[in-house]
Amino acid sequence: MAGAETATYDLGFAKWVAGNISGADKLSMCMQCGMCSGSCPIGTQMDHGPRKLIMMIRAGMRDAVLSANTLWNCTQCYNCTVRCPRGIPVTEILQGLATVAVAEGHAGGEPTARFSEAFWWSLAKFGRTDERLVTSRFYFSAGLAEGVRKSRENLAIALRMIKARRMHLGAPHKIKRRKNLQAILAKAREIEARGAGEGD
Amino acid sequence: MRETPKKRYTYYPGCSSLGSAAHLDKSLRAIAPELDVELEDIEDWNCCGASVGHVEGGALPNMALSGRNLAQAASQAPDDIVTGCASCYLNTHGVNEKIKTDIRARRRVNEALGAADLCYDDDLQVRHACEVLVNDVGLDVIRDRVRNPLDGLEVAGYVGCQTVRPFADTDSGGRYDTYDDPAFLDNFAAACGAEPVAYDPKTACCGGSVSVHSPDKTLHLIKEIVAAAHDSGADVIATPCPLCQQNVEMYQAAINKRFGTDFHMPVVFYSQLMAVAFGLDGTAAALDQNMIPPAKLVDLAKKPNE
Repeated sequence: MAGAETATYDLGFAKWVAGNISGADKLSMCMQCGMCSGSCPIGTQMDHGPRKLIMMIRAGMRDAVLSANTLWNCTQCYNCTVRCPRGIPVTEILQGLATVAVAEGHAGGEPTARFSEAFWWSLAKFGRTDERLVTSRFYFSAGLAEGVRKSRENLAIALRMIKARRMHLGAPHKIKRRKNLQAILAKAREIEARGAGEGD
Repeated sequence: MRETPKKRYTYYPGCSSLGSAAHLDKSLRAIAPELDVELEDIEDWNCCGASVGHVEGGALPNMALSGRNLAQAASQAPDDIVTGCASCYLNTHGVNEKIKTDIRARRRVNEALGAADLCYDDDLQVRHACEVLVNDVGLDVIRDRVRNPLDGLEVAGYVGCQTVRPFADTDSGGRYDTYDDPAFLDNFAAACGAEPVAYDPKTACCGGSVSVHSPDKTLHLIKEIVAAAHDSGADVIATPCPLCQQNVEMYQAAINKRFGTDFHMPVVFYSQLMAVAFGLDGTAAALDQNMIPPAKLVDLAKKPNE
């Protein structure tokens, strides 16, 4: 990891994670056996496998943890979760850290973050995921040129999906009570913004 | 008419039922009455957030999505909720269990639902269609309904991840199979008269949503899933998962290009196998919705006027 020698340490980070990330109250159970990293299908493509990331949380390496691509490359296969001998919900903890990383601006242009933005846009606007619009919004989120390139690259797949009637050509599928869903989501964001332990 | 009483469930189709996994939804709805199962849709159901909702939306808004579906389902019937989608199951089941066991989560989700005058304070069960087929319907009944056995069809049973992980072997998940070596899919194929082949990557990962947005990171995973089926002599890969079906099917051209392979392996849903085995025609089984035509299964299917 670049800059590791000059890394800054936040000695309260492990405690903060334990209190604010769902499932992370069990992190203190980790015995660093490495079952999680050994079970990960693309652990070799991560800056740090889950085992090491947990050690970095303990060491207080807040910035390094939140900018690790571990959070973006997790495919959510749940191998680590079901195999952990200490019952730590590793996948859930990585999900919680990914949310914090986006909210605090550590995600940069990571595809997972851009894809999630497109996905949430569709579900909040229509109540449902329109796979066509999510995909195009994601493609163009990295700029016009990249959007055109990716659209061309995947045109053959899109045409086959249309032919198989698995991609429709009309208006987006919408739920009827969209305002009702939007009010729920706005309220949920408001509650979450109050933070832990503040009158919730 | 059969005497068996109908089993009723509230059905959550999920967003992929209107798009990439329309053939799962269609074939599930086709086999349900054959198994004396009645499905009533959750009215005005919304997206569950899938694998990425939490990243942009945050934990509580993501939970509130399932909360709204649960509240709506509870207002319709006390029946169990069933879904065929691995991701819908993971989210809806997970949130439901969290609401039942975590008082703070229940209070916060309900405070959010209150913004639309909704409340979820019920004790519903959220179940995967495969678990319902194993535990409620039973293999014997599935075998009994077969009128058109899939003789000679060799099937590689690809379970994937989220159908079984992390809930298949938990009390709330119905304890119907194991995480690493589940048998249910091979049992479904055998019950339909097909031959399940030995298939190592049964619970390997296709890359999930990472494959959707960044296939460069995960094509090698999908290649192994297809190659093992090809090497075992399978005619088709069968899977329960919408995202597995899509990833393993649509990226074969890209895999062939990158790795110099020549794969054209059809990837079908177990429910399509059942529809054909129950004597329904290829249209009811939605066989025309697979991008790589499952030729042998199409040949086995009854023709509309038979």
